[in-house]
Amino acid sequence: MTSRGTPSRFLRSVLQNGLGRYVCQLKRISIIFSKTHPSSLGVREYIEEGVVDYAKKNPGTVVYVSPQTSTVPKIVAEYLNGNVREEIVICKTPQQISELFTKLTSQSGLDIIRIRKPIHTDSPSIQGQWHPFTNRPPSIGPIKPQKQLNQS
Amino acid sequence: MVQIRPADRILYLVPRRTLLAVAFRCWCTNMASGYILNRGAITLKSHCQRVFRNVSLSQVREKKRWMKAYTHIMAKKLKLEGPPPPKPRSQQPLWDYHAEVQAFSNRLHESFSLELLKIAFINPCYLQVEQERRKGLGIDSETTALLLKDNMQLSAKGADFTKSFLNDWCRASFPSLPSKGVESIVGHLTSSAVVTYVARNLGIEDLTMSGEFPVPDDVLHSTFMAVIGALQESSGAERAGFFLRDFLVTQLLGKDLFDMWTVVNPMGILVEELTKRNVPLPEPRLIRSAGASTVLPLYFVGLYSDKKLLAQGPGETLLAAEEEAARVALRKIYGFSENRRPFDFSPQQQHQQPLFQSISSN
Repeated sequence: MTSRGTPSRFLRSVLQNGLGRYVCQLKRISIIFSKTHPSSLGVREYIEEGVVDYAKKNPGTVVYVSPQTSTVPKIVAEYLNGNVREEIVICKTPQQISELFTKLTSQSGLDIIRIRKPIHTDSPSIQGQWHPFTNRPPSIGPIKPQKQLNQS
Repeated sequence: MVQIRPADRILYLVPRRTLLAVAFRCWCTNMASGYILNRGAITLKSHCQRVFRNVSLSQVREKKRWMKAYTHIMAKKLKLEGPPPPKPRSQQPLWDYHAEVQAFSNRLHESFSLELLKIAFINPCYLQVEQERRKGLGIDSETTALLLKDNMQLSAKGADFTKSFLNDWCRASFPSLPSKGVESIVGHLTSSAVVTYVARNLGIEDLTMSGEFPVPDDVLHSTFMAVIGALQESSGAERAGFFLRDFLVTQLLGKDLFDMWTVVNPMGILVEELTKRNVPLPEPRLIRSAGASTVLPLYFVGLYSDKKLLAQGPGETLLAAEEEAARVALRKIYGFSENRRPFDFSPQQQHQQPLFQSISSN
């Protein structure tokens, strides 16, 4: 499929975030892992080493740690706008998981689709949109067709 | 082992294959739920064989031939019943109400008093539903009384504060705007649509204790107002004002004045404004036109006052162009033009510093 056929959106932020004050958009992050399975070894190590630091650094995010039997280890991130993202972390190292946490924290929760332009503004033109009459002095007297104006 | 859930009710609507389907369903439930006990498996086997002899029930690790029938039935059920009703986040696994409320307060960089904030989320409709639920369960209302305050007071307080703050803010930002215009801007910002949109994107919906789910708009509106009331009580009117400025006033961005304020006769208002200022009355003149004989004519009307151009506006007819020109002139007079100076949303310096300390000490 060409890029024109894929879903796209303009660059924007949730609720004009950052205009007034910055609000971290990640509201809840839960780590689901197995206590015994080797595929969640990295997650277990990360829970021992990094989760408490992460939670201290981000007081606005609720971190849930939930051991479950024989499940695929995953990280479920819930954002303020209601979007939920699930990341499977099979056989990932603690370093990789830490990077994933940073990434999820800094995201806005909007759909990750093609962004049409790297810039966006709500008011495209400050001076007003261009039209054929822009920067032409107003005609004095009765308005005539274009030809007669040129001749006179 | 053999249990028929309420979800199986649908199977009775399928007359021809009912027996087969029930047998399959019971069996599949067990298969799917994990390994069944040996004894249980034998009883189930005998039961199912009585029902339907052709099905082999030996449990071996092989291609799950029961899966196709199971998924087929579940798909049929989904098609007939529709998707299940949405469940509030608080009834799903992994939910700690206290931690969520605390995180809400920290996330917005505000120091709420948590007791007040918790009260702000409790709506009267929730209390009513909870009382009825307890009565239905036969719990004695005296031994386990529902000692919760509702947010009516906080909500009223917050709504009053919001109105007065937005009024003051509008008057400060647009000094020449008449009171009707201020009213309509405040009305737009405190309208149900804008407030619920903001509340949903601030995560208030999850924390709201409401009688029904999804949370109705009016309940969400009053909850948001109660949160503002709680903020005003816990950290003062100034912080609450900044909260409103940062989250509610930012919704004014990219909005036109006449989107919020419906003016039927802009020319009349313009004449009133000009007579107030002792400026000669506006004189509409056709300054440009194009394609007058086509289906897409274009006229530009300029408003002159004392031979000076006040404003010009385009339109498809002369009347529309004149009205548009009057609107442009009004926008210029009220200071709400498109190229006005942007609003000031700079953070308050004195309040930010102790806030960052408290975050890092947490």
